[in-house]
Formats: sequence, C-alpha cells, structure tokens
Amino acid sequence: MRGSAVSSFVAVREISGVTLRQLLGRRRTILLVLLSLVPVLLATAFRASGEVDILRFTRIVFDGLYVAILLPLVAVLFGTGAFGAEIEDGTIIYLLAKPIPRAAVVLAKAASAATVAILLTVVSAGLSGVIELLPAGSDGEAATFAYIAAMALGSICYVALFLALSLFTRRALVIGIGYMLIWEGGLSSLLPGIANLSIRQYALGVADAFFQLHNDPARLSPGTAVTLAAILVVVALVVASWRLMRFELPGSSD
Amino acid sequence: MTAEVAPPAPQPALTAAIELVNAARWYGNVVAVNDVSFALGPGVTGLLGPNGAGKTTLLHMLAGFLAPSAGTVRVLGRSPHRDPSVYRQIGLVPEREAVYSFLSGFEYVRFNARLQGLADSDAAARRAISLVGLDDAADRAIGTYSKGMRQRAKVAGALVHDPQVLLLDEPFNGMDPRQRLAMMDLLVQMADAGRTILFSSHILEEVERVGTEILVMVSGRLAASGDFRAIRALMTDRPHTISIRSSDDRRLATALMADPAVFAVELKDGSLAVQTAHLSTFRRLVAGVSRAAGVRLVEVVPADESLESVFDYLVRR
Repeated sequence: MRGSAVSSFVAVREISGVTLRQLLGRRRTILLVLLSLVPVLLATAFRASGEVDILRFTRIVFDGLYVAILLPLVAVLFGTGAFGAEIEDGTIIYLLAKPIPRAAVVLAKAASAATVAILLTVVSAGLSGVIELLPAGSDGEAATFAYIAAMALGSICYVALFLALSLFTRRALVIGIGYMLIWEGGLSSLLPGIANLSIRQYALGVADAFFQLHNDPARLSPGTAVTLAAILVVVALVVASWRLMRFELPGSSD
Repeated sequence: MTAEVAPPAPQPALTAAIELVNAARWYGNVVAVNDVSFALGPGVTGLLGPNGAGKTTLLHMLAGFLAPSAGTVRVLGRSPHRDPSVYRQIGLVPEREAVYSFLSGFEYVRFNARLQGLADSDAAARRAISLVGLDDAADRAIGTYSKGMRQRAKVAGALVHDPQVLLLDEPFNGMDPRQRLAMMDLLVQMADAGRTILFSSHILEEVERVGTEILVMVSGRLAASGDFRAIRALMTDRPHTISIRSSDDRRLATALMADPAVFAVELKDGSLAVQTAHLSTFRRLVAGVSRAAGVRLVEVVPADESLESVFDYLVRR
C-alpha cells in the first residue's frame, strides 16, 4: 500500500493546499482585502480629479501606501501566520509527525503565504495603476508594471524572512511591524548603507528596472536588489528548515 | 467499527519496540521526566498518571519532538529525534484537540495518508475512517464534529498508514461511553495484530479495560509498572472519600453512619464527605440507604479519585 518514498512534490502540494485554505479562511485576510482596496479608492479619486501626474501618484500612492505600508503589512502577516497559527493551536504536530523533509514543509508554507500576499498586493497595485496611470501611456504602463514587480519581489522577501522568524519567536509579528516602521521607515531612508539590509529597498530597486523612479535613482540597482533578495530568501528558507528540524513542541510541560 | 485490522508489515526482529534507558527531560529547573527506564513490546500499555506527571513529555520524547536531556530513547531500535523517516512506523494522537477544522474528516485522514506516501490514499483513508466508525460523518467539516468525533478523526489520521507503534495522548477524552468502548476494542484488536500501543490516561477505568500492562508516572518518575490487576489490588484497601449532595444531607449522614462500610461522615461546604474502604460496595450501598431514608441523591462523586491521590497513596506505601 505504501509508495516507495513520500515525494517532496506531493508533500509540498498537499501542505500548500491546506495552508492556502487556512490563510484564506481567516478573518484577518478579509480585513487585509478591505485594506488593499483603500489605495484603489485613492487612485479612483485621483482619476476623478482628472489629474494624471505619474511622479506625484507614484510618490503618494505607490511609495507612500503600497511599498511603505500595504506590502510589508500584508506579507509580514501572512509570513508569520503560515506557521504561527499552527504552532499556536498545536496542529503543526500533524505536519511534524510525517516522514517528509522539513525543507518541503517550509517551502510549502512559504509558497502559500507568498502566493496570497502577492495576489493581494499585485492585484491591488495593478488596479490602482490601471485606474490612474494607463491614460498616461507607456510611462504609465511602465510605472504600473514596476510597482507590480516590486510587490511580487517584496512579498516573497518579507514572507520568507518573517516565516523563518516565526519559528524562533512567538513575537515575530511585533518584530515584523517594528522592522517595518523603525528599520525601513526610519533608518533605511536616513542611512544609505542600510539599504543593503532593507526589503523595501530591494522592492524599489527591482521596480527601477522597469521605470526610473522619481528623479532620483533607487539606492540599489535592479541587479543588486534581485541578488540580495535571492540571498535573503534562500538563507531564510534554509534557516527555517534547520529550525523546523530542531523545533520542540510548546506545551510539553506535562 | 466492524472493519478488520490488517496485520502489520513485517519488521526486523527487535527486543523492544519502545525503549527508554534513564531518560530525563527538564525545562530549566523544572524536571518533567526524571530517570525513567522501561521497554515495551507488542501489546497495549497504559501510561497512567495525574495531570502534570510528565506523560505528555514522555510521549513527545518517544515521538521525537523532544530530545531527552539525559539518557536514551529508542523507538524500533533508533532514536526518533530529528529523524522524520521514523514516522513511517509511528502513529501519534496528540492530546490537543485542534485539527484542521475546515477539512472534512475524509480530507483530513487522506491528507495524512498522502503525507505518509501511501499509494492509494483514498482507499487507506476510507479504511481508517471505517475503523473508527466515522463513515457517516466523513464528508462533514471537522469543525462541526463533537469532541469525541474529533478524537476519532485524529485516531484515524494516526493509524491510516498502519504504523507499528501507536502513541496516543489521552485518546478517550471527549468520547461517550459507547465510543470509548469501541475505541478500546480497536486498540486491543490492533495490539493483537502485533502493534505496540502506548496510550496515556488519567482515568483508571480506561486503563483497566484496555491495558493489562501499565506504567504509572507521578511527578516525572515511574512510580510503578507491571500488571494492572496487581497494582489495582494495592489500591483496594486504601480509604476513599466520596462527596455527596442530597435533598437532606443530615438525615443521609445519620443513615450512612449506621453502616460498617462507612468510616466517617463529615458535613462541609454544603455536601457530605463520606469515608469508606470499598468504593464499589459503597456505590451499591448509598442508593439503598438513601431510598430507605427518603432522601433524594443529587450528586455522588469520588472526592479523592484523582490519580494524584491514588498514586500518592501508592508511593507512600
């Protein structure tokens, strides 16, 4: 009856399916969907005013709302929630008590959380761009596409980092919000050297490949941004797999 | 629960399926399991002890989720810690109630089957669902299940891959008496088919029916091990306290004091605390005495039947 080996592909597929249903079924997700509509409404307001100013719109809506708030908030919540809820309610035991590589579990969780985060942020940013920037022609299209790429890359990075962190501490969400506000919101804007350690700068860097942001170039070139992002994701997933192998179940004091 | 339990896959000859040698586990200064040694082969063994005795920690060590702080833990001849491949031969039913509530019972069991790499996961899931008697509710979301049904779904998920070793943490929690008996019979049937089954409980009667062999844990230590009947015999002459609430506690107290099976009666906190040597005799006695005295019984509960008190008594001996 038993197959020769549990295929990692089957494990990733099964765990991803369950994780997606978990993430999509939460009330928190509905709130995030509603939140993601706020910038779309703002774009609609811009459009209604008849004004089409790519630079002003990208600065206020894409930079100010998407990159600074919606992207990190959505991705950190899904990243920490992918394992967090299962650790909290104990269902993680059903994954750990299986003959599957821990890396497959981590990959499935990260892929599911990143998919949901990307869907939410990319659809929202795409809608905003279509509403306000498409009338601006090819520059408008390029700007929209640039921020869609930024949302996708940023989602993957935030999810990987905070998913790994959630396996070390139950305060991963608080740390994530602190990172978003203090590190990225404050320090990385003030100290150029910190750009190498800022997911926000990776996102802006990759956007720069499609559209020259503002009049000042992004702090990181697209190549550097993608390379650093890839390193971050790989390291985070490897560390998460290592940690999951050593994970000891909480609540074992009996 | 009419389905038959299949014989387990052939295993290499082993002296013991589960073996602990001076195993200990502590959290900082708190010792959860202290210097425990035992070896188990095929059969059902009850792990008995009050809450906080270290049962879950011990089961988690056997399931590979906790490394022993000292000593060795071996399951089927190898250390289960950090070795996911061991789960091909281990089935685990955790104590915590949470299951994926959005999945149906069938989806949950099939999910387990697929993660075990079973070739025909649908058939394996159906078989396991049938073994625990959940066929009628298999397509309902687990979130709509009663606590007992949820327990049975967890058991089905744990045995879907026909494990050689089954570890169950308080498996009868929430089950009604009929479900409990059926599950106990299933465990006995699986043990007869050659599997090693270790289940924890804090209820004496559960162990009495299923496991002739028991391990008794008190405060992290193995306080007793062996045949249940021998250990049970040690308990029979200990004094029991029964708490009774009735329509007229004073009249009932007077009537009970006339019987030689009753050592003492005390009126306190709106109920009667009755001391007796023989619990079963007293249970039969109290109904007749109250009826004769014209007193209506509201509640009769053993006040000291917690395992803590039972095994404290054993340890003191």
